[in-house]
Amino acid sequence: MNSPGGNREKDRRLYGVGGLLLAGMGILLAGLWYVQVVTALNYVQDQETQSMRTVRIPAVRGSILDANGRPLAYDRPMYVVNAYLEELRHHFRQEWKRNRPKGTMTREDRGALEIAVRYLVVSNFTAQLNLDQPIDVTPRKMQAHFLGQRALPLPVINNLSETNIARFIENSWKVPGLEVEVVAKRSYPSLSVAHIVGHLKRDNSDLDESVRYNYRLPDYTGKLGLEKTFDGYLRGQPGVRSVLVNNLGYRQSDYIPVPPQPGSNVVLTLDLEIQEAAMKALNETEGKGAAAVVIDVNSGDVVAMASIPVFDPNQFTPGISHQLWNSYLAARPSPLIFRATQERYPPGSIFKIITGLAALEHGLNPTNQIYSAGYYRVGRRRIEDTAAPGHYDFKRAFKKSSNTYFIHHTLEEGRGIKPIINIGQQLFLGQRTGLLPGQEAKEQFPTMAQVNQGWSDGDTANIAIGQGPITVTPLQMALVTATVANGGTVYHPRLVDRIESPDPNLQPHALRFPKGKKRGQLIVRPENLAIIRDAMRADVADDDGTGKRARIEGYEVCGKTGTAEVRSPSEGRYKITWFASFAPFKNPRYAVVVMVERGVSGGRTCAPAARKIYEALIERDKKTGLARN
Amino acid sequence: MTFGILFVYSATYNNDLFASASWLRQPHIKQIIFYGAGIGIAFIICLKEYNLLARWSYVFYWLSIVSLVLVLIPGIGSVRYGARRWFDLGFTQFQPSEMMKVAFILAMAQFLSRPRGELKDSAVLFKGLGLAALPFVLILLEPDLGSSLMIPPTALAMMYLAGAPKSFIKKLIGGIALFAVIILSYVFFVPKDWKPIQLPDYQKRRLMVYFGADYAKQYAGPGATRAEIRQARAMQQQDSYNVVQAMISVGSGGLTGRGWKQGIQNIYGYLPRGVAHNDFIFSVIAEESGFVGSTLVILLYGTIIVVGIRTARRSRDRLGKLLAMGVVTMLFCHVFVNIGMNIRLVPVTGLPLPLLSSGGSSVVCSLMTLGLLQNVRLHQKTI
Repeated sequence: MNSPGGNREKDRRLYGVGGLLLAGMGILLAGLWYVQVVTALNYVQDQETQSMRTVRIPAVRGSILDANGRPLAYDRPMYVVNAYLEELRHHFRQEWKRNRPKGTMTREDRGALEIAVRYLVVSNFTAQLNLDQPIDVTPRKMQAHFLGQRALPLPVINNLSETNIARFIENSWKVPGLEVEVVAKRSYPSLSVAHIVGHLKRDNSDLDESVRYNYRLPDYTGKLGLEKTFDGYLRGQPGVRSVLVNNLGYRQSDYIPVPPQPGSNVVLTLDLEIQEAAMKALNETEGKGAAAVVIDVNSGDVVAMASIPVFDPNQFTPGISHQLWNSYLAARPSPLIFRATQERYPPGSIFKIITGLAALEHGLNPTNQIYSAGYYRVGRRRIEDTAAPGHYDFKRAFKKSSNTYFIHHTLEEGRGIKPIINIGQQLFLGQRTGLLPGQEAKEQFPTMAQVNQGWSDGDTANIAIGQGPITVTPLQMALVTATVANGGTVYHPRLVDRIESPDPNLQPHALRFPKGKKRGQLIVRPENLAIIRDAMRADVADDDGTGKRARIEGYEVCGKTGTAEVRSPSEGRYKITWFASFAPFKNPRYAVVVMVERGVSGGRTCAPAARKIYEALIERDKKTGLARN
Repeated sequence: MTFGILFVYSATYNNDLFASASWLRQPHIKQIIFYGAGIGIAFIICLKEYNLLARWSYVFYWLSIVSLVLVLIPGIGSVRYGARRWFDLGFTQFQPSEMMKVAFILAMAQFLSRPRGELKDSAVLFKGLGLAALPFVLILLEPDLGSSLMIPPTALAMMYLAGAPKSFIKKLIGGIALFAVIILSYVFFVPKDWKPIQLPDYQKRRLMVYFGADYAKQYAGPGATRAEIRQARAMQQQDSYNVVQAMISVGSGGLTGRGWKQGIQNIYGYLPRGVAHNDFIFSVIAEESGFVGSTLVILLYGTIIVVGIRTARRSRDRLGKLLAMGVVTMLFCHVFVNIGMNIRLVPVTGLPLPLLSSGGSSVVCSLMTLGLLQNVRLHQKTI
């Protein structure tokens, strides 16, 4: 039909068009290669940013345990009813249709109705569960959650009671979108350790984190006490949950690429039973503010350290109310002060332990007697003595707490203040122990520099009986007493025994704080310490001793009472009463110091409280089998 | 052999379609029915020799033209997405522009298969052009720019292959290019309130999205307030949403894809539900089966094209050759534009991917054209 040449021409055209088409397909393939292989990663990232929401999940906080593993602070499971918005969406829409008015609506009306409808759906469903707890969300809060955290479930009822958990399980099939879930609630079972353990504070800062999260679940940081000091260990590592959301921001699925690492446990040397006994003993005194410290004289380990009044650390999570916080701030005596370490008190007569030791070291013969007229005159000032007039040797003066005797032996015979300062400095008076950072007051103790400029005999007389420019904390006096009891070793006080993993398999690798770390050595003649110890025994054991109310049959308690007068412009005159003691006399084990503000006297107020604490300690030793020696 | 490919096609892609349609079970069932119908019609087409069918081509052509006119009349044609493209048949909807594509290929092939000598006559050539221009304009009026743009390249290729003089072809290409330049310069350089000719706004915006033009400049102008600029930017974001999401889908598929029914973009509604199963079906396939899957798709289309070219070469007469090449060119244009818009190679326009997109008219008509191709293959005489 056609000429061969024409055919060839047409074939060339055919191949031309065909080639063009195939080249086009080639271009497509190349384009796809570029998009899907070369630059695929960019698109994967874009895809993730638009559909992934990362949620920071705080780790379970570590517990704070006493020496026997009893919890002082722990994360308790709390049951919460959560509403899953993506499952309720359908019901929101239906309810919306039912409530929509005829005609057009303004934007504001529409928005308001949407909020009302959502709230109605959630509260209707919750009502069908037959729980007797009301829902915890307001329409406003719910809207904020809806706009800001749509991908996360909305907590509807917090802190579900046990009966309500049962009711929920029974009724939950009736309603969609509601689940019971467990969250951690910080719990402090014993208020007796409130000051030591401290409390938490809501913390949603992200200053020191490299990862940016879309959402953060509530997290807390330690604000006071051990919760603060060991926050880094207790807190653990937060985890990440990735939530896949659809184009409207509703949750579709989630998984946890980085599970949270639970925090470590902090194990104390403290014994909760002794702590509670001390607390009880303090509450039974007439004082409103008081403290007691019990330490192991052979290691410096703190066995108990109590202070009244206390605050309730449970109230600080999820957040303390302004009202309660203000009432804590306004209360007198203040519950926020830890009286065992955070307040400075004049030691009064318990300081005679040091005054006496200083005198003995400088040639005082304890058997020599002097006559006391019942007062002591320094210049024009007359210092009254509670001890009756009469003849006093060291032991009698010590157990009857004669001011005259101790002032006389400090001022007369040329001893002066210097030996007292020397002993005091060896005992680290005037320095913090470092046991509770941020919760420890700096005690006052005169230095030689002070003495060298404008120091009078009256000042020396005051120091000799624990008055004047000298203040101590109960912890400090417990350490002094322990040093006397153990023959002169000054220990660092120790409260935390170890930090261990919550995983029992890893517990052998716990971080341990060494027991019995020496802080210093008191350089005195041992026989002089023995004289002090003997006098302290007599103070309790003898019927004319001021500390006789601390006596326990079959357990030799040794102590020294103290009563210091305080004049404050706002609160007038009152007494700080003390009892510093150790026991037993042979092989001493514990030092117990009790301090009561506004007590009657050391002997009447504090000695009985110390006795109660020793009774608890005897029980403890019976249990551990230590009582035998 | 072609049928084999067809079946492979329907199989592979039914799967993907199923995935895209899991949110609604209807479409994939419908799709299967349409496959059945399409393959049935293709069989029927193969029964008679194509030169017998071609005799009826003008009747078919004019019938299609009439239906295109009818669809434009309010009350007869139904409106969806702001365009009057469909007849509502109750159980399904029918898109006459798809039918027009088949009729056009058939009529054009018939028209151009006349003796080569006549093609030198410019009157004949212009008649041929008119044959193409009529459906082009009618479809453009619907408006359906995508479908109408399929006609000129097909017509061009067919005229070239039929043996039209080179000078004429050159002029034609020059004319089309000039027209394109005018349109583009209109979009980008003429102020928006210049009235004489108005391109539909959405078309203009699609072109702007494609070229990455800044809306703020075009819509807000130099003296615009911040609010206006923000509004323009918001509009830009909205307009480019489909393309951006399609790109993310295709790109995040990577080499091997997320796996069947695992396409996040698709399941979680980032790809707009309205278009995921039809015009943007490819991005679903690409996300779920990755580069491997999309290569397979390209290869399968490529196979059809190669087979079509071979058929054209072996066909016993010019009618067969033109039919075959018309079908292949039309198929290629669809594939190129549709897949191209998923990876931003070409501007977005509403165009189905032949055989893969859900949509009855498209599937049936695509299968009809392949039936024509098969017909030419079956009835070729070995020279």
